Formats: sequence, C-alpha cells, structure tokens
Amino acid sequence: MTRQARDNRAPEETFEPYEEHRGIPLPVLWIAIALALWGVVMLFQSHSAADSGITRRASQLSTQTGQTADAGAALFVANCSTCHQPEGTGISAAIPPLAGSPFTAARPEVVTQILLHGINGPIRVGDRDFNGHMPSFASVLSNEEIARIGNYVRKRFGGQPPELTPQLVARERERFADRGPWAGGAEIAGTVDASLAPQPPTVPARIVPTDAATRHLVNDGRGDAWACASCHGAQGQGNEDVPRLAGLPAAYIAKQLGDFSSGRRDNDSMRVVARALSKREMAALGRYYERLSVPSTARPSLGGDLARGEKLALEGDWENKVPACFSCHGPSGFGVAPTFPSLSAQHPSYTARQLADWAGGVRSNSPVQMMEKISGRLSAEDRRAIADYLATLPPVPARKPTPEEASNANTAR
Amino acid sequence: MPITVGLLLALSFIVSLIALAFLIWAIANRQMAFDQAQAETIFVPGEQGHPDDATAAPEALEARAHHYDPVRAGIDAVSARPVLVLLASAIFWLVLGSLFGLTASLKLHWPDWLDGSPALTFGRVRTLHLNMVAYGWTSLAGLAVVMWVAPRIFHTALRNPRLPVIGAVLWNLALVMAAFAMASGWNDGEEWLEIPWQIDMLLAAAGSLFVIPLIRTAIARNVHHIYVSGWYWMAALCWFPVLFVVANVPLFYSGAQEATVNWWFAHNVLGLWLTPLGVGAGYYFIPKIIGKPIYSYSLSLLGFWGLALFYSQVGIHHLIGGPVPTWVVTLSIVHSVMMFVPVIAVAINQHVTVGRNLWALKESVALRFISLGAVCYTLASFQGSIEALRSVNTVTHFTQYTVGHAHLGAYAFLSFTLFGAIYHMMPRITGRAWPWPKMIPLHFWLVVIGFAIYFVALSIGGILQGLAMLDATRPFSDSVILLKPYLESRSLGGGLMTLGHLLFAAHFTAMLIARRPAGTMEGPRETRPAVAA
Repeated sequence: MTRQARDNRAPEETFEPYEEHRGIPLPVLWIAIALALWGVVMLFQSHSAADSGITRRASQLSTQTGQTADAGAALFVANCSTCHQPEGTGISAAIPPLAGSPFTAARPEVVTQILLHGINGPIRVGDRDFNGHMPSFASVLSNEEIARIGNYVRKRFGGQPPELTPQLVARERERFADRGPWAGGAEIAGTVDASLAPQPPTVPARIVPTDAATRHLVNDGRGDAWACASCHGAQGQGNEDVPRLAGLPAAYIAKQLGDFSSGRRDNDSMRVVARALSKREMAALGRYYERLSVPSTARPSLGGDLARGEKLALEGDWENKVPACFSCHGPSGFGVAPTFPSLSAQHPSYTARQLADWAGGVRSNSPVQMMEKISGRLSAEDRRAIADYLATLPPVPARKPTPEEASNANTAR
Repeated sequence: MPITVGLLLALSFIVSLIALAFLIWAIANRQMAFDQAQAETIFVPGEQGHPDDATAAPEALEARAHHYDPVRAGIDAVSARPVLVLLASAIFWLVLGSLFGLTASLKLHWPDWLDGSPALTFGRVRTLHLNMVAYGWTSLAGLAVVMWVAPRIFHTALRNPRLPVIGAVLWNLALVMAAFAMASGWNDGEEWLEIPWQIDMLLAAAGSLFVIPLIRTAIARNVHHIYVSGWYWMAALCWFPVLFVVANVPLFYSGAQEATVNWWFAHNVLGLWLTPLGVGAGYYFIPKIIGKPIYSYSLSLLGFWGLALFYSQVGIHHLIGGPVPTWVVTLSIVHSVMMFVPVIAVAINQHVTVGRNLWALKESVALRFISLGAVCYTLASFQGSIEALRSVNTVTHFTQYTVGHAHLGAYAFLSFTLFGAIYHMMPRITGRAWPWPKMIPLHFWLVVIGFAIYFVALSIGGILQGLAMLDATRPFSDSVILLKPYLESRSLGGGLMTLGHLLFAAHFTAMLIARRPAGTMEGPRETRPAVAA
C-alpha cells in the first residue's frame, strides 16, 4: 500500500455522513422473528409458571393449616404417631396409649388442654402409670389444626363426636394462657375434668433457681463473653441463623462450647465467647438452657418441600444411605441426651446452615463423623426440606430436674 | 382460553411488535421515495459535487451530494464556546471520578486503608465515583458532542448558544453540591439516585437548558432529512428529563414499588440517556472519519425504534427473585433479550462501515477509540441480554461480574467513543493541532490494556464468586477470599485507566493553553498522528 493510495482514500473534511438505502438483511429479520416468538412464549408461560407456583404453595399451606378433608389424619401422622404409634397403641411403660384411653373419651377441653400445654408428670391411663412427657403444641399448631387433630383423636380412639371448634380452642388457649405443662394427670383431673380421677399424686413442682453467676452470664455477659441472650434471645429461643438453645441437652451445649473454644467447631463470634468461659461455666450454661421450656418461634422459611422433609426425618432415604433423623435424634426430634441434640422447633436457617457446613467440611465435630457423612449425601433441596420440616415440630418439653440437681441449685443459692 | 395476565402480556407484546414493524416499513419506504425525488434539495449551494462520470448511478450522485463545509458556513464558531466549557468540566469530573473509583477499588482489598474519615469510607467513595463519572464525565462530554455535531448535521448554527453555557455552569454547580452532600453522608439512599432530590431540581433545570437549543436548531435546520445521530440525541435529551424527574419525585414511592422505580430509572439512565449519546456519536464519527456512508437506512430505523420500544422495560431484571410480580420481571427479561434486535442493527451499520475500511484504523486513533467503543457496545448489550436470563442471573447477580459488565458499557463503549470524539473535535474547535500527537496512542493503549485487565479479572472472579455463594456447603467467607487476586487485578487495570485519564487531561489542558500561531498547525483535519509524523 503506497502513501499515495492511502491519501486518495482519506476523506474530505467536508464529507457529511449519510445512510445508504438498503433493506434490512434477511438474517436480521429471522433473528428478530425468532426472538419475538420466544418472547411471546416466555410471556405466556410466565403466567402459567406463576399459577403453578401459587397452586403448589396453596396445597402446601393447606397441609400446614389442615384445610383438607382428612387433615386430622394427616396431622395425627405428622405430629402424634411417632410416639403414640400409628394405631394409637402407645409404647409399653413409656408412652401412654390413646386407643381406649379415658382422656380421649373425656370432655373436649381435656384433649385441647393436653395438646396446648403438654404434660410433665405422672399420669394414669387405664390401670397403668406413665411418667408423662408430652410437648406443647400451642406454638406450632393453629387453633384450626388443634381442633382437627383433637376431633380426629377423640373420634378414632374415644368414639366421640367432633365437638372441637377453632373457637373452643381459642377459648381454651385464653383460659390458661401463661401456664407451662400440666404437672400430671392429677392436675388435669383437678382442673379440667374430674371424671379422670383417680390419678397418681403429683410430685410438687419445685422452682429450680439457677445460680446468680450463670444468670448474670446469660443476661449481662462478662468481658469477651458477651451476654448469651443478646443473640440467642432472652429465653434461648434463637432467631434465624442463631440457634434455639432452650431444651438442648446440657452435655451437648457444654461440648459445643468446648469445641468452639478449642477450634474443633468454627464460628467467629462463638470462638471469642467460648474462650472467655471456664469448663464449669460451660457446664452451668448447658444446665441452664436444658431446663428452659419456650414456645417455638421457628417457622418454615426456606421454601423446602415439607413432605420430603417429613419422609427424610421419619424414614430416611436408604437409596442414598441417609438414615432417618429420628432414629438417633429420638421421636419427634426431641433429642437423646447427652449426645444427640433435639432438632424440633429449631430455626430452619440454622439447621440448613449446619447441614451444609457438615457437607462442605466446615463443621466437623460430630461423633464418628456421622453427620458429615449423612449431610454429604443430602442435596441442597433435601437440606432445606428437612430444616423446614423440623421447624414445624413442637419444642421439646423441659426436662425435669433430678432431685440432686434441685438440691444442688438450692445450696448454690 | 381464560384471560390471564400472561395472555394479555403476550398479545400486547405481539401488537406492539407489529406496530413497530409497520412504523419502520412505512418510514423506510416513504423516505426512499422522498430521497429519490428530492435528492437535489440536499445539495448545498456551492457544495455540489462535480460528477466526472455522467453514467454514475443515482447512489453515486447522491454520495457526492453529501458534502458540506461547516467551517465556511460559520456554524462551528458558534458552538465552540459551549462545547469547550462542557468538555473542560467533563474532563475535570473524569479525573476526579477515576481517582475515587480507584480508591474504592483499592479499598476492597486494602480494607483498612483511609478508614479514618467517614467521607472516605467505601460506601461514599463508590457513590462519588459513580455519580461523578455518570453525571459529570459521560453526561457532560456526551452533551458537548451533541452541541458540536447537531448543528453540523442540521446545516445551521446552534440556536441560543448561551443557554448551554449557563446549563453547564448550573449542572456543574449541582454536581459540586451533590458531591459534598454525598461525601458528608446525605443521599437519597438508592443506587443511581443518590443525589439528594433538592439538588436534583437544579440538575433537572440545568438539563432543560440543553434541550431548548437542540430542538430550536432542529426546527431551523437547512436539510430535510434528519441524520440518525440526530434522532438518538433529540430522543435522549427529551427522555432524560422525564426519567430523572419521575424517578426523583420525593416521598412518593415506597417499598417494593420504590425499588421498581429505582431500577426502572437506573437502567434507563444507561439505555435511554447515555447509550443514545454514545450510539449517536458513533453513527456520526465513524462515517465522518472514514469518509464512507453508513450501511443501511432501514437498519438505522430498526436500531433506533427497537431501542425506544424495548429499552424502557429492561430495568426490572435487576429485581429477579425480588418481591415484585413475576410478570413484571418476565416482561423485563423478554425486553432485555429483545434488545438483541436493535443492537444487531446498530452493529451491522457501524461494524460493516469500519470493516470495509480497516486501513482507517491504522491512521486515526480517534477512529480506533470510536470503533472499539462501538464493538464494546455490541458486546456489552449482548452480555446484558444474556445476564438478564434467570439462569445466568442466579450466578452473576450480586457479584463483581455485574461491575465488569457495567464498565464494559459505560467505560469501554461510552468513554472510548467520547475519547475518540474529543480527539476528533478539539483540533476543529480550537483550530490547533494536538500538541503531543504521540500521547494519543499512549492514552489509547493505557486505557485499552487497563480495561482488558479490569474486565477479564472481574468477569472470571465474579463467576467464581457467584458459584461460591450458591454453594451452601461453602461458608460465605470463601466467596470473599477467593475474589482477592481478582480485585487486585482490577485495581491494577483501574490504575492504568486512571493514568491514561491523567495523560488525557494534561494533553487537553496543554491544547487549551497553547498559544501557537495558526500558521504552525497541520490543519484542523489533524487527528491522524500517523500521518502527521
């Protein structure tokens, strides 16, 4: 290319830009038409996608709220049958039967009150005595659900007509709004329905004071160990990523604090707090939280498939070598002290986070690497499903202090 | 079939597409008839070509018709003052904005650096960067190009040439006030709308002072046909005040609705304000520097009206997964993808003209800047359409990938185009050649290499960051830690870009204060340092 040739092509300063008259090239038209068709299909489908999403959500809600025909049965299977057994037979010497029980045949208020507040004390069903240990469903079931579950149980096991209504449940909820669990059959017979007597004598409930130092640690903190309550809530109820501590086994809490302190379990906040605590204080905090009984504040929030979560919790997924959660963590996920923490009423964000951390190797402090292996076999959807399902369960009932603990606490004061 | 929102949307979408197709068909055909019949009217007296071949095709005859000497017509002299005021302030904001951008970038991997003063915390520094380069550099430089070129394509001097000067002063005053407000922590709390609304009123008033001269010049034009750049610029100057005022109405929006208006504006300020400024500049300078016409008038129509129809809805793709109705988001995604159509049209029009005349790239750094800018417009638009898809957005949203994309559009497309335009315009405005011609390619390579590092680092880092955030089995901190080398590369690239801007600003200043006698200059055509050397 010569300099001369270049100069010839160089434009004159007076040249003004203009456009030539050409049609739109055909490929451009084809692309435009293809994109337009795609756009029409997308717009049309988006609504059906939103529709199916709404339908799915509605059916999920109806399962949760018991708005379907056999909701009572479904609610019974989901909430009662792990302990009371699908046929209502109970477990010899441990869980009272429902079938043929005078409680299911008594006035409707009896079943309502037991469901609302739970039982923590001796109870006589037929001619056998049980050490009653039933959770409160007040915080996880609506009035509508309690009415349906109560009607189902009373009809199937007590042969009673459906007398429970949401209004009746609401009244009963108001009636003893602030009380804890019933202290046994005697108290129920004395307060709600005298026909249930005679009942075994109730051991008088003892108020177990915690020592002032532990209370101070929980509520006010000390130096680096800032107050537990500042994150975990005044009653250890937790929130979202911060776990619920109320009702966890004392030994489990103490072990976790030890693991945070030694670095076996990693969390930036808890490492600082745990390192400021002595072994004695860790154990004392464990005992403090183990005895708390707090309504559930957890709700499904991750969009998990509750039916899938329930299946995993109750039966596991043996094709993927995932055992049922409850096979170790106990019926209804109430935990098996000292090693297996309770899972019920735990906040779903926290549960899913822990499962993900185990799967990813971020958390690795479970005995014999059990949780690491199991979590690794769960998909992200399964983790969300389990976490959401566990959040629908009632909280673990408070463990009654043993006489020694009670007397120790009294001396400590 | 039940009437659903989806069906109504799909139908209205089809209807608007048919209307658009009809509009383009109608204009293209009527306009062709006009031009054939009225070709002679385009000739400016005395500027008529002298056909040396009597058998020349009508196109060739028409080509010779497209000559006009704006210097002799005396219109450049009228626009020179407002354009120089606009350019000088634009370059001031470019330098200041780049320094704030570099500071923000460095803070991402040196978090403790400059942490002593609230005004220098990341949140404020980043906000200052965005507002200075968006409303200071690109807007003012774009307006300078409009004020310079519009009279040339309308073949008449700029009307009310004092208004743009007043507008530039008020606009700069508003920006200075806004910068102090934001540095002291006073802002409206929404991205792209940070400037407090009290100051926005001044900015909007200043903006309207540019609209009046442009419209009045267009009405008084001496040509029948308005060249495509004119459509983009008149549309942009009319759209922007509407967008800006509607989005800044105080105390009117709240909650999810506020977020919707926020992103409707934030994307439209790119697509309906900055983009038309840059595309219009590309449409003028590419054929101007090469001396060859644009490929197709019909494609110009498709590109312009496609932008006007589709762009206004794309902003809501920033809220995918957010609490807004699904159909709003889907509509936005469909419109984002439909943007392929006008972008392809502009791409063919501009790239074919450059592709057939690659020799010109060697000779003109200005053209190199502008045509690289045009290529980046195509790339940024394609990338944006793809990013709007839900499947891609899931990974890239909330990551540095989006930052890379934003700079591909606002920097590699718009700023490159504006650099080239300024290199072409300045010798003609001042009547002097650039004092240090070798610094022009140096500026070019600094910002091109700097931007390449910047873009590649953020795109790769952003995808890795997105995948890490999606993987629930990895702690969040993983997504932060893995980014560090990419953020450091970004600072390196940003540093080179800033260095290029400092050279550019120095060169510009030297040209302004140079007092060389007119005789020593190579001539106002001098934008080609290769030829000059």
